[in-house]
Amino acid sequence: MPLTPVQLALATLLLPLGSAAFIALFLRRRGGAAAFVSVAACAGHAAAAFLLAFGGHREAAVNASFEWLRLGAFAVSIDIKFDDLAALMLCIVALVGFCVHVFSLGYMRGDSARGRYFGGLGIFMFSMTGIVLAGNLFMMFIFWELVGFSSWLLINHYCEKPAAAAAAKKAFIVNRVGDFGFLLGIIWCHHAFGTVNLAGIAAQTAAAGAGAHAISAGIPLLLFCGAVGKSAQFPLHVWLPDAMEGPTPVSALIHAATMVAAGIYMLCRVEPLFAAAPAALTVVMWTGVVTALYAALCAVVQGDIKKILAYSTLSQLGYMVAAFGLGGQTAAHAGAATAGTHAAAGGVLLAAGAAAAMFHLATHAFFKALLFLGAGSVIHGCHHEQEIFKMGGLFRKMPLTFAFFTIGVLAIAGLPFISGFYSKDAILHLAQQKNGLVFAVLVFTAVLTAFYMARMWKLVFLGRSRSEASDYVRESGPAMVLPLAVLAAFSVAGGWLALYAPWFADVAGRVPHVGGAGLVIMSAAIIALGAGVALALYKAPVRGLSKLVSPDTLAVRAPLVFGALALANALPDRLYNHYVAKIQQRLALVLNSIDRFLIDGLIVRGLAAVTGLFGMGARALHTGSVHAYVYWFLAGAALAWAFAAGVF
Amino acid sequence: MNPLPADLLLLSIAAPLAAALAIALGLPRKPALAAAAAGFAAPALAAVWCWLAFSGAPLSDGYAFRSAYDVGLGHIGIRLALGLNGVAMPLFALAGITGLAAGLYALQSGAERLRLYLMLLLVMQGGLMGVFASVDIFFFYFFHELALIPTFIMVGVWGGRGRNYAAMKMTIYLTLGAMLSLAGIIALYQGSGAQTFDLVSLRAAIAAQPLPELAQKNIFALLMFGFGVLVSLWPLHTWAPSGYAAAPTSAAMLHAGVLKKFGLYGLLQLAFPLLPAGAENWAGVLAWLALANVLVIGMVTLAQSDLRRMLGYSSVMHMGYAFLGLAAGGAPGAGAAVMLMVGHGFSVALLFLLASCIQKRTRTPDMAGMGGLVKDAPVLAAFFTAATLAGLGLPGFANFWGELGVFVAVWGAPALGPGFAAAAVAGIIISAIYGLRSVARVFFGPRTATFGEIAEAQPPRDLRRGEKIPALILLAALLLIGFWPKSISTAIDAGLSSAAGAATSAAIDRNRLRSAAIDRGTAADAGGAGPEERRDAASTLAAAGTAAAAAK
Repeated sequence: MPLTPVQLALATLLLPLGSAAFIALFLRRRGGAAAFVSVAACAGHAAAAFLLAFGGHREAAVNASFEWLRLGAFAVSIDIKFDDLAALMLCIVALVGFCVHVFSLGYMRGDSARGRYFGGLGIFMFSMTGIVLAGNLFMMFIFWELVGFSSWLLINHYCEKPAAAAAAKKAFIVNRVGDFGFLLGIIWCHHAFGTVNLAGIAAQTAAAGAGAHAISAGIPLLLFCGAVGKSAQFPLHVWLPDAMEGPTPVSALIHAATMVAAGIYMLCRVEPLFAAAPAALTVVMWTGVVTALYAALCAVVQGDIKKILAYSTLSQLGYMVAAFGLGGQTAAHAGAATAGTHAAAGGVLLAAGAAAAMFHLATHAFFKALLFLGAGSVIHGCHHEQEIFKMGGLFRKMPLTFAFFTIGVLAIAGLPFISGFYSKDAILHLAQQKNGLVFAVLVFTAVLTAFYMARMWKLVFLGRSRSEASDYVRESGPAMVLPLAVLAAFSVAGGWLALYAPWFADVAGRVPHVGGAGLVIMSAAIIALGAGVALALYKAPVRGLSKLVSPDTLAVRAPLVFGALALANALPDRLYNHYVAKIQQRLALVLNSIDRFLIDGLIVRGLAAVTGLFGMGARALHTGSVHAYVYWFLAGAALAWAFAAGVF
Repeated sequence: MNPLPADLLLLSIAAPLAAALAIALGLPRKPALAAAAAGFAAPALAAVWCWLAFSGAPLSDGYAFRSAYDVGLGHIGIRLALGLNGVAMPLFALAGITGLAAGLYALQSGAERLRLYLMLLLVMQGGLMGVFASVDIFFFYFFHELALIPTFIMVGVWGGRGRNYAAMKMTIYLTLGAMLSLAGIIALYQGSGAQTFDLVSLRAAIAAQPLPELAQKNIFALLMFGFGVLVSLWPLHTWAPSGYAAAPTSAAMLHAGVLKKFGLYGLLQLAFPLLPAGAENWAGVLAWLALANVLVIGMVTLAQSDLRRMLGYSSVMHMGYAFLGLAAGGAPGAGAAVMLMVGHGFSVALLFLLASCIQKRTRTPDMAGMGGLVKDAPVLAAFFTAATLAGLGLPGFANFWGELGVFVAVWGAPALGPGFAAAAVAGIIISAIYGLRSVARVFFGPRTATFGEIAEAQPPRDLRRGEKIPALILLAALLLIGFWPKSISTAIDAGLSSAAGAATSAAIDRNRLRSAAIDRGTAADAGGAGPEERRDAASTLAAAGTAAAAAK
């Protein structure tokens, strides 16, 4: 019996939730069964997602709405909105999700809390799918919070480690700071437009663009706060590097490919608001540019393989945010003019920048998931050693991992004709047209990207093993290598697929298209420069580690540069820690003392003391002597008489 | 008229009281435990039954399941009038279900003088059911006192550290608050001139002839501060943390979870609808104090190291949201406040239950002396995490809807506006910090040295069945409402709309609601509602709702 499109969409939403609930209720201690159930549910999710996306079902056939809550004028509904944008995102989530599930079978073998792990993955797939399908902002916020929760749960997987517990807490709280703005932006939308439905907002902004009334830049900026938190943009980027305490497959799925990209996806969803308030776009653009550059600089001084990839993720997310900010600048008028017809047809209208951001999101999801899972394979092989200076010479011992990882490195560096080249050059091309400074910074960032990736690649795979951890290494099993192969295939071909395949025309059709040899040469030059310097600077690992000299060549050759970068890297965290310890905690203690000593002590007990004094006075009147009572009686009678006579 | 097989409302009040009486008369231990179990189960079953039957029940004056009994005080307008409106029904369900959980926990707690303890708890339970089932405000108040007095005794006798001081403070505070609100209720009775405590007649009398504005302002102030003390409105809250820290578990669950909602419920049912001018005058003050509840107490909560004090303060903080919802007013604000009251009731009861499970295992109330408990007690950790996340307003749990609705309502309220909303939303960051911090301090990381020694001597066990079942009941309720908020919001929405309509004449009311029902695209057959239609407007709406549901 073929399912209707709406049922397929609900299946993608509910299958992972069902598997998580089933695992929580029945398979808590049966890790193997939990893994099986979870992978099966994920396969079902992927099947439903692909049927939906490639079956040609869009908007009218899939969109659905169920009222969820109503209190007077305040209503929340479950709206499904399935356009090309959602279809593309859903495919990414399904494909990477499935690869990560399969990889986890190998990576998490022997873990004592596999039930919790796979249950958490299920909750994540459920909530991420919810974000993708959400047709209104309240619903998006709900699933937004839920991915935050699943992220907390999975970062916390090794919860007996204090660092993991702290990282999970930090991730959730920093995200909540972003959500503070996001929620306010949504509530503002609710009151400004009378609806939070995406199509409704698009229609109203189109009307506003035609001159009905101006839209405050405050709304898109507050919504952008959510993306700053979730996509870890500067200055709320601090949680993402710490989040690497989670298991590596989780880092690949949540903290590289999908959840952190949800911020970009959300921005594309509310793109009409930005088109109506171009001032907000400038802020978005510079936030992205700063994040891209800053994170790339930080990546240069990392020694932990996952931290390098984490900072690289930050940097790439910065590219996407910058692209989003770039695109609307000149497209705003054209966008607003045509938005009316487009919104009426119920479709998305993406500015070139938003489309380029989404394109980069897609290719990045594949090659970054590949890099993370490759790193997972390396870490698994090296007995959970993550320090690149203790690895070396792995290309002989892990040839398959080496090959696939190399593809990932080439893709992120933007080697011509594989996926990263197309998406990154679309962004660079846009920047070149719009803003020379942004273009320069982004090109420099691209050079840095090639530099730190080549550094990591050489230190991990070339030369000879440097420590016992990497002495006895074997290639990982098929459960871990096969997902790498799939992701590597998409990392190579993803660019052509997205650009030339007919499935996601609404997004792909708006990606700025560049041809000619100029860009190929520029890309090749960027790689040659960045990777060339790195390969020349860092020597291939040799046997043994010196205890006296820092293993990082940059620290030896240019200690000032290295020190400055390390300081810049640590500064935001230091500032936040200072705030938490010295300001927030002190304020809490001061208020606590006020509560205890002033309100509870002085006022409450003070009042009690006053009451007590009255009591003592009243007791003093009760002398027990009849004479005294007679006088009291007389005084009372006189008072009563005076009152009755009107003396008062 | 009454679709229930018997007067379940009366049964839910009488059953626990009868069980208490039987125990007081000297039942031996085993039958006493059985009687207590029945006394807790009956109200829970009645509550769930009423919840399920409510959507199809005919309403009169907005109330379903009405009944009235003469208690010999008819000459001053007091009758035992019972019934549930859309606002009372979810709270009645909360009282029944939380009561069952608290009762089950008490039954297995092995407290000293268990029979006496159960007896007091049963009296409290009877009172709680009565509070939300009463249509007569004399009995509304009477049942509150009936539930309150056992609390004092339970804190004083079975309490933990510092119980004497806590019990005395709680008694003085809550008695004063109750006296203030009693004064307000009597003033309302006198001012209306209706010579009745029946809420429906009182509403009609006041709608026909509103109180003078000055009287409204003064009575509102009495009710606001009186009820405010009972709900721990800042700065009248200091009884709460010390009281809850000392109270025995089941008493804390019932008081923080259910009884505390009496004040909010009173404001919502009496003060706001009957004294609109007073509400307009005082809503601003109430909102500022409530904001202090959220932000000041939120920061104070951050500084707590004692687990139960922290829970007590966090509960004070969340009451700020409920007050804000009331101050914002309208169906979104008041409705969100009710949803929050229900969600908070379940979550805080669950948290107090789990906190005592934790304390039993770690032998210390101080979070600084805990750590790493997840290894020994993963199920306990999962439950506590879930309850904490519910408390910090994660979607999927009941509390989220209330908080979201309050924020939306505050932004939209003309007297409060976006700035107020921004300040209130800042609370979600604070609650995330203290909530997750407490989970991490209790369960994650390595064991602290002190707890390590205790754990060596007696390895902590995971949740026992007797602890797990009540926790599961509460968690299920949180998730049910979290995933399916309409299970209670439909009734709340209809109840609030009909209460708002009660001020206008019935005919206008009927038309307005009917057109509202048509506006919502329901399949209400407006033509069928002829002049001989005897049912109330609100029941038309409810019927339209069910018809629409059936049509789907």
